Parts: sequence; C-alpha cells; structure tokens
Amino acid sequence: MKRLLLIAALFAAPAFSQELPHPRDMDLPESNYTRPDPVDYQLVLENGLIAYVAAADQVPLVTMSAFIRAGKVSDDKQGSAEALLDALQNPGLSETDRDDFKVTLKRMTAEFSVEMHDEWTEITLNVPAEDLDEALSMFTGLLRDPAISAANIERAASSAAPADSDLGGESGPALYAGSLDAAVERFYEILYNKHPYGVQPTAQDFADLDAADVAGFHASTFVPGNMTLAVAGNIDVDEINGRLVDLFAGWNTAAVPKPKQLPSPAAAKTTLHHFPSDKLQAWLVFGHDLPQVPLEDQAALEVMNYILAGGHLWTRMTIETRYKYGYTNDASGFLEDKWFGPGGYNFRSYSRPEVISEIYENMMDEVIRIRSEEVTAKELFVAKGALAEGKFQVAYLDGYAATRSFAVERLRYGNHNRSASYVERIRGVAEDDVLKAARKYLRPDEMQVVLVGGDAFPL
Amino acid sequence: MRIIRHLSILAVALLVSPAIAQNYDLPIREHVFENGLRLLVIERPGEQRVVSKIFTDMGALNETPGQFGAAHFLEHLMFKGTPTLGSTDWKREKALHQQIGVAEDALIEELNRSRNDLRQRGVFHDDQHQETTPRLEELRTLIDSLNQQVLELNDEGPTKIWYQAYGGSRLTATTEQEYMKFDLDLPADRVELFLRVEADRMQNSVFRNFDAERMILVEQRLGDLNRAETEYREAMNSLVGRASMVYVPEGYANDFEQYTRRYQRELYETYFVPNNTTLIFIGGVTLEDMTPLVEKYFGHMQRRPEPARYQGREPLPSAEKRLNWRSDTLAPRVEIRYQVPGVGHPDRPGFDVLAEAFEAHLQSVVSAAGIEGKLDINTRVVHTSRFGVPASINIELVLKDAAQIAKAENVLLDELQRLGEEKLPADDVALAVKKLRTQWYRIAVDPNALAFQIGHFQIMDSWQTLQPYLEARDATSEADLRELAGKYFVARNRSIGVVLPGESRP
Repeated sequence: MKRLLLIAALFAAPAFSQELPHPRDMDLPESNYTRPDPVDYQLVLENGLIAYVAAADQVPLVTMSAFIRAGKVSDDKQGSAEALLDALQNPGLSETDRDDFKVTLKRMTAEFSVEMHDEWTEITLNVPAEDLDEALSMFTGLLRDPAISAANIERAASSAAPADSDLGGESGPALYAGSLDAAVERFYEILYNKHPYGVQPTAQDFADLDAADVAGFHASTFVPGNMTLAVAGNIDVDEINGRLVDLFAGWNTAAVPKPKQLPSPAAAKTTLHHFPSDKLQAWLVFGHDLPQVPLEDQAALEVMNYILAGGHLWTRMTIETRYKYGYTNDASGFLEDKWFGPGGYNFRSYSRPEVISEIYENMMDEVIRIRSEEVTAKELFVAKGALAEGKFQVAYLDGYAATRSFAVERLRYGNHNRSASYVERIRGVAEDDVLKAARKYLRPDEMQVVLVGGDAFPL
Repeated sequence: MRIIRHLSILAVALLVSPAIAQNYDLPIREHVFENGLRLLVIERPGEQRVVSKIFTDMGALNETPGQFGAAHFLEHLMFKGTPTLGSTDWKREKALHQQIGVAEDALIEELNRSRNDLRQRGVFHDDQHQETTPRLEELRTLIDSLNQQVLELNDEGPTKIWYQAYGGSRLTATTEQEYMKFDLDLPADRVELFLRVEADRMQNSVFRNFDAERMILVEQRLGDLNRAETEYREAMNSLVGRASMVYVPEGYANDFEQYTRRYQRELYETYFVPNNTTLIFIGGVTLEDMTPLVEKYFGHMQRRPEPARYQGREPLPSAEKRLNWRSDTLAPRVEIRYQVPGVGHPDRPGFDVLAEAFEAHLQSVVSAAGIEGKLDINTRVVHTSRFGVPASINIELVLKDAAQIAKAENVLLDELQRLGEEKLPADDVALAVKKLRTQWYRIAVDPNALAFQIGHFQIMDSWQTLQPYLEARDATSEADLRELAGKYFVARNRSIGVVLPGESRP
C-alpha cells in the first residue's frame, strides 16, 4: 500500500516548488500599443494612386503588392475576370515574352502570386533586393499593360471546366487538410446557388469572349483610384517613392468603377446536405450568409465569434467538443465578410464518423446558448485582449504587414478610420452587446449543414 | 544564479569573410545559467512584440517500442494546466489524481497478468486474442468516473486562455523526432507572462483529460491515414532506417491505447529539466531585460541529471534495399533514397544545394528520355527536413504511366551515377545557391520562423552551427556536389521504392 501511495504521489504531486502568481495578479502592464500612422508610409501620386512604402532592413528582400478593387464578379461580360486572371498568372508584357518573364522570375528566385477573390485581386512579387530595379519595372509593366490574348481565354475556359467531383479518391480534395476545404466549397456552392457569387462562367461565355473584352475589363478596373500599392523591404523609401512616381506617371486616369452591390441570397430553412465519402473521417461545415455588418456592430460580432468559436483556441465550441469529450481536433467559427455583398458565417469541424452528429449537436447547443444568455466577464476579458492586443497588433507587426494592412484598408474603405478606432471599439463591447450581436447575426433555423463522409443524421 | 557563459555570435563572425557575415548576420546573444538553462536573444529595439519559444531536447527519438507517439501526446497533455492554472479546488482534484494513479497501477498489473490472453498473436489482426477482461473493464470504468469528477473541478482555460487574454498570438506547439517546443508571440512588455506559464508548465503539468485527449491523437492519425501515401511513406522510412527512430511515424493507434500516465510522467520528469531546455526571444527585449526575468521564474530549478540524449547510431550501410508497393490508388512512382549525414557533419549543407541544383537537371533528363512524370528531390522524413542524426535524401518521380517504371528507374540510377562522375553546370549550382539564400532571407525576415531555426539547430547540434551552415551552402561548388554524389550515391547506401499497380491492400 505504501508503495502504491508513493507512485500515486508521483502522478499527482508535481514538483510544485515555487509560489507562482496567477496571471491576473501579475500586474502586467496595460497595453501602450500604438498602431503605426499610415501617413508615415503614404505616397499619393497625382493620378490618385496611393502607395504605402516602408523600409524593413533585416534582410535584403523586397515585397511589392498591388491590390485592385475588382474580382470575379466585377466583370460585365462573364469570363473576362477569369481570363484576366490567367493573363496575370502567366505574365508577360507581350505574348512572345511570356517565357522570358518566367525565366527572369526564376533567375531572380522570385516568389510571384496572383489571387483573385470575388471583389478584389492581390498581386505580389517578392525578390532579393539586388533585383529590385528590374522587378519593379516588370511589376509595374504587368499592372499597366499585361499581355492579353485569345490564349488567356482558352486557358481560363479549360481550367473552368467542371472537374470530377471526387470526394473519396486520393487525387480528389478529400484528404486530411483538403477535405475540410471541399466541405467549405460545397457550403458556398449551396449558399450562393444562383447568386452572382456562385455563378461560374460557362463554355459559351468563354466562346463569346475575345481579347478586347478582357483588355477592356483590365482598362476599366486597373486604374489608379481603384488600386493601392504596398512596397516594403530593404529599400530607400525616398528612392522608391521617386521610382513609383516615374513608373506610374501619365498612367490611366479613367473613372473609378463603382463596385457592384449584391443582394443577400434567399433565406433557407436548416437543411442537411450529405456528400458520401469512403474516407476514415467526416467533415462538417454549417452556417448561413452574413449580411453587410455596419461599423457599429462589427466589434461586438467579432468578440461574440471569438468567445463562441475563435479559430483553434480555447472557446466554447472547443470545450464542448474537444476538451470534454475528445471528439475532434478542432471546432471553429469563421466570419467571412465580403467587401460589398453578403458574406458567410460558418462553423467547421471533423472527426471519426461515429461522433460527427454529437459534434454538430454540441456546436449547435453553443449557438443556441450564446443567443440565450450573456457571456461571462472572464470570457469578455479574454476575447477583448486577444483581439485588441493580439490579432490587431500582428496586422501591423513590421513594415511588410503594416503596408499591406494599410493598402487593403484604404482600398476597401477609402480611409483608415476603422483601424484607428479598432482598439477602442473592441474595448467598448459589453456583455449585452455580445448577446445582441448573437441574436442578430446567428440564425440557428437557417443553417445549411454540409457533411462530407460519415452517415447522414437527423437535424 | 550565476551566469557562466555569455557569448555573442559577433565573435564567431570574425572568423568568416565580411561579405558572408553581412549576408547571414545573426546577432544572437546567449546566457547559460548555472542550472544549465540556455537563453538566446535577438534584440530588435523599438519592436512592440516579442516572439518567444521554449525548446526541449526530446521527441520521438526518446520513446520506447509500444509507446510510439508518446512524446507528441505529452505535448498535448502539457496544455492541460497545473495546480495553479486550471483548477477550482486543487486539494480535491489532487486527491482524485492520486486515486486515478492507483487505479492505473492496478490496470497495468492486470494488463501484465492477462498478457497471454490479450497480446496480439495473429499477423493479420485476425482477432485471435482477447480484447479485454472483466477486471480491466472495471478499472477503466473507475478511471472514467474519477476523470469525470476531475472535469467538474476544472477551471476552463488552463494555460492557453491567459496567453489569449493578454495579447498572445501564434499559440502553437510542435513535437517532432528530436524536439518539443511551445511558441508564443506577445507584447514585449508582457513577456513575463510567457516565463510564468512556461516555468509552471515545465515543472507542474497536471495530465488532465488524459483519455479524451488520447482520442485527439486517434483523430490526427485517421487524418494521416486518409492519404494513401501515408502507409507507403512509412514503409519507405522503415526500409531506409534500421535503428533510428527518425524513421518511425508519430505512433500507431495500437500504441495510443497503451499510453499510461506513468510513462508520460517518466518522460516528463526525465526531459523537462533546465539543463535540457532552451529559451529563445526575438523582438523588443534585451538580454539584460530577460536575464533577471528568466532567473525569477526558472532560477529555483535545480540542475538535474543530464537526460541521456539519443546518439543516432545507424548500422553501416551494407546492401541495397527494395520495396515493391502495390496500390490501385497511389500513382505509379519510383523513389530512390540515400542516407545522408545529420547537421553538424561537414557534408550536410551540400545536400541542400544538391537537391536544389539537381532537381531541375534531373527533371530535364527524365523528360528528354520520354518519361512523363514529376520529380521532387527532398530531405524530408515524416514532417522534418533536417536532423541531428543521419536521415535521407529522397529522389521521387511520380509517373503517369506504370509501364515506364522500369525505364524511369534505370534513367534515375544512370543519372545519379553520372552525378558522381561529372560536374553539374555551374549556372545550375549558382542558381541553387541563390535560391537557398533567398529562401533563408524569407525565413529570417519572420521572427517566428527565425526563432524556430535557431532552436532547431540548437537541438540538432548547436545554434552556433547555423551561420556556418548557411555559409557552407553559399560556398558549395560543382566539384563539391560531384564529390558528395560519388561518396553517398552508392548501391549499398541506397533504398529503392516502386509503386506498382496491383492488388488493393486490406
């Protein structure tokens, strides 16, 4: 018996040899964080183009990004955006020098990416500082005058052709990481069914398109007032500012297009959409659309989501699925707003198939609970700290992050008021604000529930 | 606590040429405390945040058979709090943990007593053994019941929640073959919180929700097994290595069932000692700031017997090995692996250059031979690309047509042999060196990624190896690559895997 007790002590009595204060009692300093001032980075050209430029000298690299307020739903003639995307992803200043462009990027050891969302596009080039001059000229040339031809339309048409919907095969999306993405894709296909965000160009759309249409789309959207730039790295800021003035001098001063304001999708009652798969796990995504959120609601909504299901952290949904029961590695919530139209608010998890219905039930219970009662003071304290002093600060961590954040904010909102007031707005959220946000933006009776794998279950 | 060593890499930098030093300047400052705890700081004055990491020199290499994946599981358990973080009534909770410990001892005794009934005898998992005994079920029910009582005493949010509350971000942890680490990025003026929580975690972790968390490993394992590649890769890893746990995956479901609190506690007590630990900070702090703070929270910890570190003794390569893997879901492929030395060996940096320079060249040779396939050359085993012990370089060619397998194997082998006889084009090598240099800058610009590299090199060899390692890559020539290929790309050091179409596996 004595031996057993000794071993038991080993299990339960760690070498607790120091009195440690509780984090609440450590007198940690109040945050004295100040967001960088965008004016310190801002360059406004005569034609209205705004750039944010910062020196970040730790390593001899430079990143240049362009943000354009035009995306897949911005074209008037279907398929133009996708064809332009192809022209940007396979860059060349003329059709004949596409290979040269790629060879040059390879020689520079550059990283180049183009990402086109529904309403905006981001183009980024990262190069060693020794290649800055050449890279900046190429980058600017690509923005101003990309080579556009029938080949872009053909490639866009072929990549838009429907792929085999393989949720069970090795080459399909139903892999560990990819299957959740597949479930999210299904969720948005259902949410945006027949909505402009869900409409894909058809083969006929591409057949009806010519290079002039694509060039016209570029000319009307890649204009100074519809674009911002971010340049950061091992640079002389004055020199870069001068280069930008020269490179964009005399460029397009066409009118800034008005973004499309799209309506909310039709509301639908809670429905399960099951996609069988023969994998060892099942993936769950459920939620509904998220209307445009007015500024006065944004902070409370963000705090509410953090408490309910902030990504892979200590949240209500994590506690009720992972911590207590070991059902899943993750149960998180995602506020995915759009710039001008309805976004989505969805919750995601995955598990061995036999417990997926319990996961759904527990997550939905938390949706109901947060709409029924006020959150605790502790939950509020944690969420506010995490958002105002964690996530927010990281967005301005260094010159690269700050210039990017400013460029995106300016393009989307036309000013920097939101980031200027963010901390104050988050700090001002009270328990009843969270309850109101939950009641306003969570609609438990209108959940579209996507299940990939496992067995269908009653809702 | 007396500071017994204080070294700046600037002194090391004097040994290298000014041009190179400028490329890879790492102003790391170090204190090693009397109890063996190592503190590394890169000061970035004016930055408002600080990246903070704590590395422990232990991982899968330190596990014993039957407990594979236990180090990774220990990392999960170390998120469950301490007596002061996570309990509403530690006195009552402690008594429950003692009862769980006693019940688990009885469980282990029953498992031992009934071993001849329970142990697996059948090769094909054909259930010729007994799954359980009434006594085992009784004890498991008891432990479940005690766990439930513990849960009722848990204060939600044992450790992570305080990092969240005070502005922490990138709250992650990782366990690989050679290390475990916990990560955080937080406001620099609150760095003391990291020290308070990590010192507590290092000494006072309470393994709450043991059985529920065990199921999270099952989830992660199922996720791995969703890839048809996983089992093939595990078989390849096992083919290459005969002794080193570098090649063994993160554990099998059967091992997860065997985990005990006792074994986890043994790992914890053995390896989580100050003289096996490195703290790394990059950001708005100074060494002078950090030294007294570290002392405040870790200074009372006594230097403990040095844990036996894995020595990495693989038998000498003695014969070519071969795996014929049949699969209807995996694309046909040919893969050739050679063992390569670990970080700390002078030949190791050259393999980074070789992989970069040779991949494009070999891809063009394969295409010129009329073989349709995508080539990848890497040094990855499970998730990790560098080790302190020997690992492998992997030349992987995924084919469109299984009929080309034999031809592809011959082309690869011929070209690998030629590489030991003829130099690669100088331009290819120069471009590979530039690419690696740029890749390094992309790491170094991110304090989180940089801190990881510093900690990883400390585990693999020494943080002071990092800069010379990068410089050695820069200095690698075509002749060096030819020499490496001639030395290592030999038949007795080779493992070949081919994926053939054929029968489906159970």
